[in-house]
Amino acid sequence: MPRTYEAVYIFDSTLEDTAIQEKLARFHELLSLSPETTTVDNWGRRQLAYPIGTRENGYYTVARFEAEPAALPEYERALKLDDGVMRYLITLHEHEVGAPPSAEGEGDEERPRASDDDDDDED
Amino acid sequence: MRRPQKSCPFCESRVRFIDYKDDRTIGRFLTDTGKILPSRLSGVCARHQRQLSTAVKRARYLALIPYIRGHQA
Repeated sequence: MPRTYEAVYIFDSTLEDTAIQEKLARFHELLSLSPETTTVDNWGRRQLAYPIGTRENGYYTVARFEAEPAALPEYERALKLDDGVMRYLITLHEHEVGAPPSAEGEGDEERPRASDDDDDDED
Repeated sequence: MRRPQKSCPFCESRVRFIDYKDDRTIGRFLTDTGKILPSRLSGVCARHQRQLSTAVKRARYLALIPYIRGHQA
């Protein structure tokens, strides 16, 4: 069963925009994403709150997608090996701030179950 | 004497999930040095305080907010 994930990438800001988009496309290919369930939000270059190594800036990209959990390890490996990615964070997607309470109630479909998330479940 | 109950700012604005990418909002719940503000001072309810704590840690990792502020190495 596919689950909705949200990934934030911090690319090296010295890379060309086209190179970044190319990398992004390559990563997303590994997940075989369908375009309908995928949204990519490029924040662009932004100052880091603290230097990472010698870098003061990073190119932020937020992607939301539905993917099979089994496809994640390979994708994550590619992220780790890529020197152009300074940092990344993959999380299970939750609703946006200010999103109105939806009808799905407490029995959230995204509740971590039998997975390696150790988020504490609410009572 | 009991302190009057503060109401949770997240509950008041009907936030269900705190967004770790929203550094502006998260920044309001940090001290000047960048620590997480205790809920006893901010009035955040337990559920949102737990979410806030996770959100702050994620935001720190992503260099959206600093781990420590005002520290010169």
